[in-house]
Amino acid sequence: MTRVRSMFLLVTTFLLAAGGLAAAQPSPGTAVQKEALDVDLSSHEVSIQTDFSGIKVVVFGAVNNSRQPSAASGFYDVAVVLRGPEQAIIARRKDRIAGLWVNADSMAFQDVPSFYAVLSTRPLNEIADEAALLRYGIGFESLALVPRYSPRPHTKAEYDAFRQAVIEIKKREKLYREAPFSVGFIGTSLFRSTIDLPSNVPVGDYTADVFLFREGKLLSAAQSSITIGKGGIGQFVHQGAFKWPLLYGFSAVLMAFVFGLAASAIFRKG
Amino acid sequence: MQIYLPIAEISVNIFTILGMGAAVGFLSGLFGVGGGFLITPLLIFIGIPAAVAVATGANQLIATSVSGALAQWRRGNVDVKLGAVLVIGGVIGSLIGVALIKVLRQSGQIELAIALLYVVLLGGVGAVMMVESVGAMRKAREGKPPSMRRGGQHVWVHGLPLKMRFKRSKIFISAIPPFLIGLIGGLLASTMGVGGGFIMVPLMIYLLRVPTNVVVGTSLFQIIFVTSAATVMHATTNQAVDVILAIILMVGGVIGAQLGVRAGQRLRAEQLRALLALLVLAVCFRLMLDLVTTPDMRYSLGPIIENGAAQ
Repeated sequence: MTRVRSMFLLVTTFLLAAGGLAAAQPSPGTAVQKEALDVDLSSHEVSIQTDFSGIKVVVFGAVNNSRQPSAASGFYDVAVVLRGPEQAIIARRKDRIAGLWVNADSMAFQDVPSFYAVLSTRPLNEIADEAALLRYGIGFESLALVPRYSPRPHTKAEYDAFRQAVIEIKKREKLYREAPFSVGFIGTSLFRSTIDLPSNVPVGDYTADVFLFREGKLLSAAQSSITIGKGGIGQFVHQGAFKWPLLYGFSAVLMAFVFGLAASAIFRKG
Repeated sequence: MQIYLPIAEISVNIFTILGMGAAVGFLSGLFGVGGGFLITPLLIFIGIPAAVAVATGANQLIATSVSGALAQWRRGNVDVKLGAVLVIGGVIGSLIGVALIKVLRQSGQIELAIALLYVVLLGGVGAVMMVESVGAMRKAREGKPPSMRRGGQHVWVHGLPLKMRFKRSKIFISAIPPFLIGLIGGLLASTMGVGGGFIMVPLMIYLLRVPTNVVVGTSLFQIIFVTSAATVMHATTNQAVDVILAIILMVGGVIGAQLGVRAGQRLRAEQLRALLALLVLAVCFRLMLDLVTTPDMRYSLGPIIENGAAQ
């Protein structure tokens, strides 16, 4: 009986190791093994061509040593955070002065992610508590927006209002997104999620952090990355504009002259 | 059909841009204004960043004014001598404008300054033109000859030194007023991303008494040079000229401009001025509305400007 059981364990271990799914050799007597994540993206490089009108990127992964009985059991929670390159921005607020709406106050922030999407199996507050979300930077509430030097100090309430405005505007531009119920399990260990990158997606290096939770506790995390760059004519134009601005400017003028002259010639004949 | 703009960094419908270019080009050919005061707000409205809209608008205006000016040239409607004086003023005005922008940016009120400038200029010019052209139309209906050159209304202009004869315009006046008009045009071109035709055209008609047909050709001639200078300036300081966007606008614009020039031949001068006045007043009203109505979103985001250039 004992012999049969150890044989069974040996075979299982062998199968798991051969499949590359086992993180460590199970020590006899331990029933529960720690979960580990393997994640990847459907592409690691996106080249923005002239016909670019946004793209979908699939984030997929597997929970090793999954203990969940079925895909629909809700045993695990997964949160995916995709961040774009950081940039410094200034937020301005209009006030009514003498009947006119004018920019009255402003606040500058540094290291603001140009893109920030959080996808999860459930609403974030059901996945983990505030402290945990804050620790791992998951969700708008946990997004650290660091103010830059300001000539006039702002109160906490003002900071909160500006911070909220940054998130709201980015949401309208489709660059910030929180999407609960958008990560789904397929079977007991595989999960997948689709992120929409809109046509105005900023170029640069993106990181995708994937977190595995169970009853509010982080079990495992993994990271992958994607680079968004310009390709084709777009890249040529962009490089020209930034590397040789004077030449680019004169070329633009010359091109416009040619256009005007050509149109004139065509229309005179017609 | 969607097309990705490499500098504006957004994807737009190519036919929307073509249509906008054609519509503005038509008005430009019809009235002899660059059309910048229309194209820039339109581009911003469809989501092009403001800096890119201004810079690319300037680039597109070159093509429109080259083809428009050529069409006018063939009809003998360009006063090169007067145009040269305007260009000299325009280039100096552009340089002053660049310096002015720096000061305004540092104070953080550039948007407001530009909006107020638009409202005041467009409102004033539009109102004056409207009153004048309606009066002229009424006179024409009553059978009286339209009197464009009423004596005694431009005394101070004739009192200035440096008098020159501008044969094509049939005027003998001081070079100072056209120089100043060119300067204002250049100032507006570099600060507002417009050709400045909407202000130069009425000033030349009412102040200098240049015949309307010559004004149109000559202002287009000046706009070619001023917008060229502005394009190079925007390309080197902000990297904000999107040539892909400019090409699409140009294709629509040059076609529209040619049609506009032809349509202009069929309309009487005072009708043309009344229509332009209506258009100018409409844009003025729209901008004023933006200033006084509660905005949908009180907050806005922008890049941090350091040393006069966007990061």
